Amino acid sequence: MSDLAGPGSADPFDAAGSAGSPGGLDGDLPEAAVRRLESTTFSSGLSVPDFAACLDLGLEPVALVQGFCVMQWGWYGAGSGFGRGLSPYMGVQQNPGTYSETYRCPHGFVSNEHRSWGQNIEQTWVEDAWTQGYHTSYARMLEEARTLGAHGVIGVVDNVANVADTGTTEFHFLGTAVTVEGGPPPADGVPWSTYLAGQRLTKSIEAGFMPVAVVAALASVRVWAYCMTEYYMDGNMGGWGSNMGPALVEQVSKAHMASRQLARKHVREQLAGDELHGATIDVVTRELSAGDEVIDCTLRGNRMRRFKDFDPVALPRPTVRLS
Amino acid sequence: MSSSPPLGAGPAPTQDVRAEMLKGAQAMATPAPPSSERGITSDLSVDEALLLHAAGWEPLDLVVGVAVVSVPVGVWNWGRGAISMASDAHNAAVDQAARLLRGECGKVHGHGVVGVRVEVSVQTHHIDVELVGTAVRPMAGQSGKDARGTDAALASPFVSDLSARDFTLLQRAGWMPVGLAFGASFVYAPRRSAGTAMKQTRQNVELTNYTEAMYSARESAMEKMQHSALEVGGQGVVQVKVTEGPMSFARHAIGFTAWGTAVKLVAEAHQFVQPDMVLPLDDAVITFDAQSLRSAAPGKGRKR
Repeated sequence: MSDLAGPGSADPFDAAGSAGSPGGLDGDLPEAAVRRLESTTFSSGLSVPDFAACLDLGLEPVALVQGFCVMQWGWYGAGSGFGRGLSPYMGVQQNPGTYSETYRCPHGFVSNEHRSWGQNIEQTWVEDAWTQGYHTSYARMLEEARTLGAHGVIGVVDNVANVADTGTTEFHFLGTAVTVEGGPPPADGVPWSTYLAGQRLTKSIEAGFMPVAVVAALASVRVWAYCMTEYYMDGNMGGWGSNMGPALVEQVSKAHMASRQLARKHVREQLAGDELHGATIDVVTRELSAGDEVIDCTLRGNRMRRFKDFDPVALPRPTVRLS
Repeated sequence: MSSSPPLGAGPAPTQDVRAEMLKGAQAMATPAPPSSERGITSDLSVDEALLLHAAGWEPLDLVVGVAVVSVPVGVWNWGRGAISMASDAHNAAVDQAARLLRGECGKVHGHGVVGVRVEVSVQTHHIDVELVGTAVRPMAGQSGKDARGTDAALASPFVSDLSARDFTLLQRAGWMPVGLAFGASFVYAPRRSAGTAMKQTRQNVELTNYTEAMYSARESAMEKMQHSALEVGGQGVVQVKVTEGPMSFARHAIGFTAWGTAVKLVAEAHQFVQPDMVLPLDDAVITFDAQSLRSAAPGKGRKR
C-alpha cells in the first residue's frame, strides 16, 4: 500500500465518473476494497442530523473511508535509542536539538545506589514511531478518499489502541469522503479533512474557516529521577533530614510542562500559518518508580484556514428554557 | 445528488452556506502561499470561538500550567486538627500551576485565559495540578472590551475556568473575571475511644468526629478560597465547585477543595441581561433500560 504520493493516477478525480467500470479505481487498494468502493451506493459514518447538514452545505457523501496501521515499537534491543542519556559528567549533550535537562545530586558521592544524576529526555524515537503509525493510517484513509475522487473527508474519528501486551499499537482512521457540489478539486489532489461534521462544520464555513487537515502529535518525555526527585516523590529525605515541608518537585513539574509544550510545538510545525481549532490534550503518565516516569502527551485538533474576512456574528440573545 | 425540499417553512438562512462552501473549496484548490505566521491554537469549540468573536475577543494560544508538589511522609498518619502540610502542598501546587499558565499567556500577549480545565490529583506523597485553557485578548480595535486597560491586563492576565459562553455573558453583565480562586483543606477525623466505639456498635448514631472534620475542612477551604479571591481583587466568586470526602489512601483524613472564578464589577452597575423566555415544544424522550428485561430487581425498570 502506498502513501499519498504513491498512486500514479493522472487525474484521480476522474475516478468518480468511472466508478461503475471495473478498474476505474486507481491506486493499490486491496481488491475487496476496490469492489466495494466501485459500488454505486454511497456509505457514510455520519449521524442523520450530520448527514442532513452535510447535504445542506452542498457536500455529497461518497463513501466511508478508513485507514489502518499496526505498529510494533522497535524501542528496545541493539541499536535502539532507548535508554538513559549520557552522563552529564562526560560533557556531551544528549540528542542535540531536542528537549533534555540534567539534574545533579547535591550530596556528592554517597554510594553506588545513590542516584547521583537524573535527566528529563524527549523520547524522539517514541515520537517518531507514533508519528509513523498515525500518519500512515491517515494517509491510507486519504488514499481511499482520493481514489474515489473525493474533495474532502469529514467527521473523522481516530483511534489509537494497544492491540495486545506485545508492544504493538493499532492506528485506525475513519471518516466520510465527500465531494463539494460543483466545486474544484483540492490543490495537488489531496483531500482536506476534519474531525468536524454537521452544524459544527457549517458554522466554521460560515465563519470563514475551511478545514485543511486533522493534525496530531505525540510528545514523550522520560524522567530519570535524581536523588532529590526520588526522595520528594517518595515523601522522605532518605535519611538526609526529617524536617522537610512540601516542596515543588522541579524535575517532574518541568517534564510535565515540557511534554505539553513539545506536543504544541510539534502540532504548530504542521500548521504552516493556519490555525488549530478544537484542540484536545490527552496525557498518559506511567510511574515506573519514585520519580521515574514516562509522560506521553497527545495533542490533536482541526487545522483550519481562513478563506474570507471574518464577519463577527451578532451577539446571540440569551434565553431561559421554561421546561 | 440534490438536496431534498424543506420540510417546513423555517426562518430564511442568513447566509447561503452552499455558496460559502463553494468559496471555501475554491480557496483550497490553490496551494497556500508559504507563511511564517505563528498559527493560533485553541481548545475552544466552534460555538465558543464564534461567541468570543461576537463579543470582540479572539483566541491566541493553547496554554498550560502543571505543578507537582511533594507531601512529606507521615503527614497522613493519625492525628488531630488540620493537616496543614497537605493543605499547604495543595495550595502551593495550584499557585505554581496558575503562575505558569499566566506566564504562557503573557508570552503571547494575552489578556487572560478562559475555559481553564482544572485537574487535581492528590496522591500519598505528591499533589499534581494541571491547568489547561486558551489565552485570549480583545480583537484589534476592540481594546475597550477589557475595562482594566491593556497595560494592566498584560501585566496581570486573568485565569478563569468559565467557558467562553459564560465569559461572554459575564462581560455582558458588566463583570470581568480576575483570577482563579482556590482553597483546599485536609483535616483528621479524630479517632473514637475504644469505649465509645463499643457503645455505638449497636446504635444508629451520627459519627460526630467525621461530621465535625468535614465542617472544619469546609470552613478552612472556603475561607482560603475567598481569601485568594480578595488577593486578586475579586468582589466575589462564581461557579464554585467543591469536592469533599475521605482520602482513598487515608480514610481518617477528610479533604475539601473549593474553586471558582473570582469576578469584579467593571461597569458602573450590574447590567441586567434580561433573557427571553423559551418554551421548548419537544416531547420528553423515553429511554429504555435494557437491563429490566433480564430481571425484576427492585429499582429496575423503565426510566423516563
